[in-house]
Amino acid sequence: MSRGWGPAGGEVASGRGLRKKGLRNLRRLGVYVRPYRLRLLGAILAMFGVLGCTLALPLLLKTAIDSAIIPGDTRLLIGIAGVVVLIGLAGIGLGRVETYLTGWVGERVLNDLRTDLFRHLQTLSLGYFERRRTGVLISRLTNDVEALQQLVTDGITSTVRNVLTLVVAGGILLVLDWRLALATVVVFPAMAVMTFVFRGQSARAYGQMRQRLGLVTAALQEDLNGIRVIQAYRREASSRAQIAELNQSYRDANHRTVTSSGWYFPTVEILAAIATCIVFGYGGYLYVDGAIEIGVLVAFIGYLASFFDPVQQLSQVYNTFLAGSAALDKILDVMDDAPAIVDAPDAVPLAAIRGQVAFEDVRFGYDPERPVLEGLDIAVAAGQTVALVGHTGAGKSTIIKLLARFYDPQAGRILIDGTDVRRVTQHSLRDQIAIVPQEGFLFNGTIHENIAFGRPDATRAEVAAAAREVGADAFIDDLPEGYDTPVQERGGRLSIGQRQLIAFARALLVDPRLLILDEATSSVDIRTEARIEDALRRLLHGRTAFVVAHRLSTIRGADLIVVLEHGRVVEQGTHDELIALGGRYRGLYGDWAEAAAG
Amino acid sequence: MRPKDTDQLRYLIGLILALAVGRFAVMYLRRIIAGTMAVDIERDLRNLVYHHLLSLSFPFFDRNQTGQIMSRATVDLTTLRLYLGYGILFFTQHLVTITAVTAVLLWMNVWVALMVLVIVPPLAVLAVLYSRRSQPVVTEAQQALAEVTTQAEESVVGVRVIKAFGQEDREVARFGDRANRVFALNVEATRLRSIYVPIMDFLPTISVALLIAGGGYAVIRGSMSLGDFVTYGLLVALMVMPLRMLGGWIGDTQRFVASSERIFQILDMPTDVAEPEDAEPLPAGGGAIRFEGASFGYDPSRPVVRDVDLDIAPGSTVAIIGRTGSGKTTLTQLVPRFYDVDRGRVLVEGVDVRRLRLDELRGAIGTVAEDTYLFSASIRDNIAFGRPGASDEEVHLAARRAQAAGFIEELPDGYGTLVGERGLTLSGGQRQRIAIARALLLDPRILILDDATASVDATTESRIRLALEEVMRGRTTLIIAHRLSTIALADRIVVLEDGRVVADGSHEELIGSSAVYREIHDHGLVERRFVDADGDHVLMPVDHEEASA
Repeated sequence: MSRGWGPAGGEVASGRGLRKKGLRNLRRLGVYVRPYRLRLLGAILAMFGVLGCTLALPLLLKTAIDSAIIPGDTRLLIGIAGVVVLIGLAGIGLGRVETYLTGWVGERVLNDLRTDLFRHLQTLSLGYFERRRTGVLISRLTNDVEALQQLVTDGITSTVRNVLTLVVAGGILLVLDWRLALATVVVFPAMAVMTFVFRGQSARAYGQMRQRLGLVTAALQEDLNGIRVIQAYRREASSRAQIAELNQSYRDANHRTVTSSGWYFPTVEILAAIATCIVFGYGGYLYVDGAIEIGVLVAFIGYLASFFDPVQQLSQVYNTFLAGSAALDKILDVMDDAPAIVDAPDAVPLAAIRGQVAFEDVRFGYDPERPVLEGLDIAVAAGQTVALVGHTGAGKSTIIKLLARFYDPQAGRILIDGTDVRRVTQHSLRDQIAIVPQEGFLFNGTIHENIAFGRPDATRAEVAAAAREVGADAFIDDLPEGYDTPVQERGGRLSIGQRQLIAFARALLVDPRLLILDEATSSVDIRTEARIEDALRRLLHGRTAFVVAHRLSTIRGADLIVVLEHGRVVEQGTHDELIALGGRYRGLYGDWAEAAAG
Repeated sequence: MRPKDTDQLRYLIGLILALAVGRFAVMYLRRIIAGTMAVDIERDLRNLVYHHLLSLSFPFFDRNQTGQIMSRATVDLTTLRLYLGYGILFFTQHLVTITAVTAVLLWMNVWVALMVLVIVPPLAVLAVLYSRRSQPVVTEAQQALAEVTTQAEESVVGVRVIKAFGQEDREVARFGDRANRVFALNVEATRLRSIYVPIMDFLPTISVALLIAGGGYAVIRGSMSLGDFVTYGLLVALMVMPLRMLGGWIGDTQRFVASSERIFQILDMPTDVAEPEDAEPLPAGGGAIRFEGASFGYDPSRPVVRDVDLDIAPGSTVAIIGRTGSGKTTLTQLVPRFYDVDRGRVLVEGVDVRRLRLDELRGAIGTVAEDTYLFSASIRDNIAFGRPGASDEEVHLAARRAQAAGFIEELPDGYGTLVGERGLTLSGGQRQRIAIARALLLDPRILILDDATASVDATTESRIRLALEEVMRGRTTLIIAHRLSTIALADRIVVLEDGRVVADGSHEELIGSSAVYREIHDHGLVERRFVDADGDHVLMPVDHEEASA
C-alpha cells in the first residue's frame, strides 16, 4: 500500500537557502534573547575570562622556560607555578558563572519560545487547524523546539567560544612570531576549499535526513492512531516492512553525514599536522639561527592546537546550526501566520445575550472562490430553537462555525441582539455560547475536570448535577473512582455514547445563553437517548439554540426549521408549515417514511 | 641545546608527517566505522521499537498516551544515536589519548607521570558525585518533556473544544506550567553542571603547575634536560583537552542513560496477547463461536463482561443490545483476541482462541468498529487494507456491496482519492461504509459490526441494511445494535446488562420473557408509532465535515 506521503511540505531546503534564512532567523531569535541580555553579557564576559585562563597556559610555560628555567630563577619558577594554580581557580569560578548563565539563558529562551508558540497557536482560528496536518503542528511544538535546544544551549555559546578562540589564538600566534604565523597560512586555502565542500555536502545530507525522519515519524504516528485497525486486519507485517523501508532510507541519509564528516575532520587534522611540521621545520631553522627562543617555539605549537581545534569544532557546530536553523524556520513560519480572526481594535465586550440572532445576506467559502454559503438570511427570535436540515455539504455546520465566529463571512453580517459579532470581543462571545461538537472530545484528566472544562471553578455538586441531568451519573458512579476516574488516552475505554454524555454535561454546566448543538445522539442506546432528549428539552428551553439536527424529536420541536441545499436556504418555517408547503422538507420526510416502512 | 642538527630535524619532520598520514587513515576509519555503527544501531533500535509497538496489544494502547510513546520513539532514539555516534567515539579517543600519554610519561619519567596521575583520583570522585546527583534530575526532565509533548498533542487535536469553550487562556497556562517544570529541571541540571564541570575542566592545570615547579626545578638543578622538559610540557598539554572533555561527556552519558531507560521500558513491555509457540491452525468451519463463563475487566477487579455463556452457531446473526456501558463492544473484542479473558474461555471453531494462530484467527474475522479510522491513503488502499493484493474489481465489488461505490465514483479522483488526515474529509456515514467494504473484502467467516449504521441517514441505512442482509449470508455475524431496524436483521438477540447476559432468544421469545428487551423494544416502538401517527419523521445525514478544503 502506497500512502500519500509526498515530501513533507518544505522540509527539503537547499543548503544555501538554509544558510541565508538561518541568519535572518538568528536575528529573530535575538528578540527572545534580549530580555536576558545582561545575563548573556555576564556569560560572555565570563567566557572571555575562561578563554583567557585556558590560553594563558602555553604563554606561562613559555615564560617559565625562557625567563625562569634557562636563567635558573627558582623564585620566579615557583611564582609562575603559583600563578598557574591561581589561574586554574579563577577558571573554575568563571567557568561556573559561564556554564550556569549560558545554560539558564538557553533554557529560558527555549521555554519562552515554546510557550509563545503555544499561545500563538491557540490564537489561530479553526480554519488554520483544518488546513494542516495535526502531526505537523505537534511536531513544531516538540521536535522542532527540541532541535533548537541544541542550537540555543550549545550551538551559540560554542560558536562564540570557538570564534573567539580562533581570533585570540591567531592574534597570539602573530604576536609570538609573525614569520612563523605567516608560514602556517599556506595550509589555509586547502582548508577553506575542504570546508566549503564539506558544508555543501553536509547541508544536503542534513536536509534529506530531516525530511526522512519526518516521514518515519509520520508513519509511526499514523500507525499508532490506527493500531486497532492494523491489528484487526493483521497488517503488522506490512506496516513493519513499510516502516523498515522508511527507516532504512533515513539511515542512508544519516550515513551520508557520516561519510562526509569521515573525510573532512581527519583532513583538517592532517592540515594541522602539516602546519605543525612547518612550524617545526621553519621554526627549527629560526631557532638554530638564534632568531627565536625555544620557549616561543613551545608556546607557538601549543597555540597552533588552540587555533585548529576551533576550526573543527565550528564545522561540528555547523550541523547543529543547520538543524536548529531549519527548526527555527518552521517555528517562525507558524509564528508569522496571523490569526484570521482577531478582535477589532474597538471591540467591546458583548452584553448578556438575550438571544436574538440574525444572518443577513451572508456569503462564505473556505476557499473564497467557491462559496459554501450564499445569500443566507436567517432571523431567530430570542429563546427559539433552530433546526438546520440538509444533506452533506449543504452548509449546516458552516453556519454554526460562523455563529461562533470561528470564521468570518466574506459578505453580509451576523448579528446577535443586533450587534455584529465582529464588533465584540471573542472572549465575551464564546463565554456565553456553548458548543456540543460532533465528537465528544475528552482531555487527559479526570471525568470531573472534563465536565468542568468550560467552568474550571465549578463545585463537585454542580458537576454532579450536570451529569445527573444528562443521565451520565449512572455510568460515572460505576467507575472505580467515580468523578475522579482518570480518562485514559482520549477516553479510549469509554464508549462513544458515554463520551457524548460527558460532552453534554460539559455544555450544560456552562449554562449558556446561546447553545450550538452539532451532532447526533444516535449512537447511544435507546434509553440513554430518551434521557438525553429530556435533558435537551430542558436545556433548550429558554435559550436560543442552533441545532444541526437529524433526529425527529429535535426537528419537530424546533421553532424554526431551516432547510439548506448547496449553501442556500430553500425553505424555512415550522414543521407544520413546511409539511403543508409540500416542498423539499416534505420530500425528505417522504424518503424517511419509505425507509421506515421498509 | 643548539646543535645544527638539521638532518635530525628533517628526519623528525618526516616522521611527524608519516604519523599524520597514519593518523588520517585511522581517524577516517574510526569515524566511518563508529558512525556507520551508530546509524545502524539507531535504525535497528527504531525498527525494534516500532515493531514491538505494533505487536503490543490493546491494553497497552488504552493505558499509554500517544504523545508519550511518540516522544520515546523519536526524541529518545535520536539522543541514543548522537551519543553512540559521537559520545562513545570521543570518549574512547580521549581515553586512549590519556592512557597512551600516561604510559609514555611513566616510561620516560615516573615523577612527571605522578604529577599527572595525582589529579585522577579527585577527578574520578567528582565524576561519580556529579553523575549521582545529576542523573535523577536529567531523567525527570526527560519525563517532564514528554508531558509537554502530550499536552501539545492534545491541545492541537482538541482545539475545537478548547475554542468552543473559550479555554485558550487556561490551556496556555497549563502548557506554561508544564514548560516551566521542564525549565526548572533543566536549570537544576545546569546548576549541577556549573558546580562540577568547571572543576573537572581546570583540575589539569594542577598538573601543569606541578610540572612547571617540579620539572623546572629539576632542569635548573641539572637533573633534567630542557628538551625533556619541553617534551613533558607538550605531552601534558596533550592531555588537558581530553581530561576537560570528560565533564561534558558525563552529562551526555546521563541523557543517554535516561533515554535508553525510556526506550527499554517500551521494549520490555510484554505483549499481553501473544500466541503460544505451538499455536494451532484455525480449523475449517463456518464460524462457530462459544463463550464459556467468560469474564473480563480492563481493571480485573471491576469486570465489564461477567460469566458470559453463549453458543453461537455457524452462519447465524446475533444482535447484541444493551445500555451504554453494558459491555457490548468489550464482549465482541474478546473474539479476535484484542483482549484476553480473565476467567473462562472464548472458542472459535471449538478451539480456545488463546491456542490459535493469531494471524489466522484475526484473518477469519472482519471488524467494523464504532470509530472508523482511515489511513492517509487512497480510498482503494483503505478498502484493500486487509488484502493489499486485491484486484480493482474486487475492491469495487466490495464498495458496491457496502453501498459506498456511489459516492466514491462521484469523487474527482474516484478510488484514487486521498482520504485521512491529509486528504478529503469524509462524513461519518461515508467512513463507515468504507469500513464495511474493508471488512467485506476480507470475505471473513465471522463479521463483527459495532453499531455499523449509527451515523448514516435513513436512506443510506436502509441501503446498508440490504447490503448487510446479503453479506451476512453464510457468515457468523455479531452486530451491536441500537436501532430496531438493525435488530430486526438478527436471528437471535442477546441482551446485556452490567456485563451479564440477561436475555437471549428470538424477538418473539424475548418480547414475552424479557422485561429489559421489552422496554428497549417498546421505546423504539414508541418512536415508530409516533412517526407513523404524525407521518413526519425526518432523519438527516450526520455530516459536519463539509469544511474539507
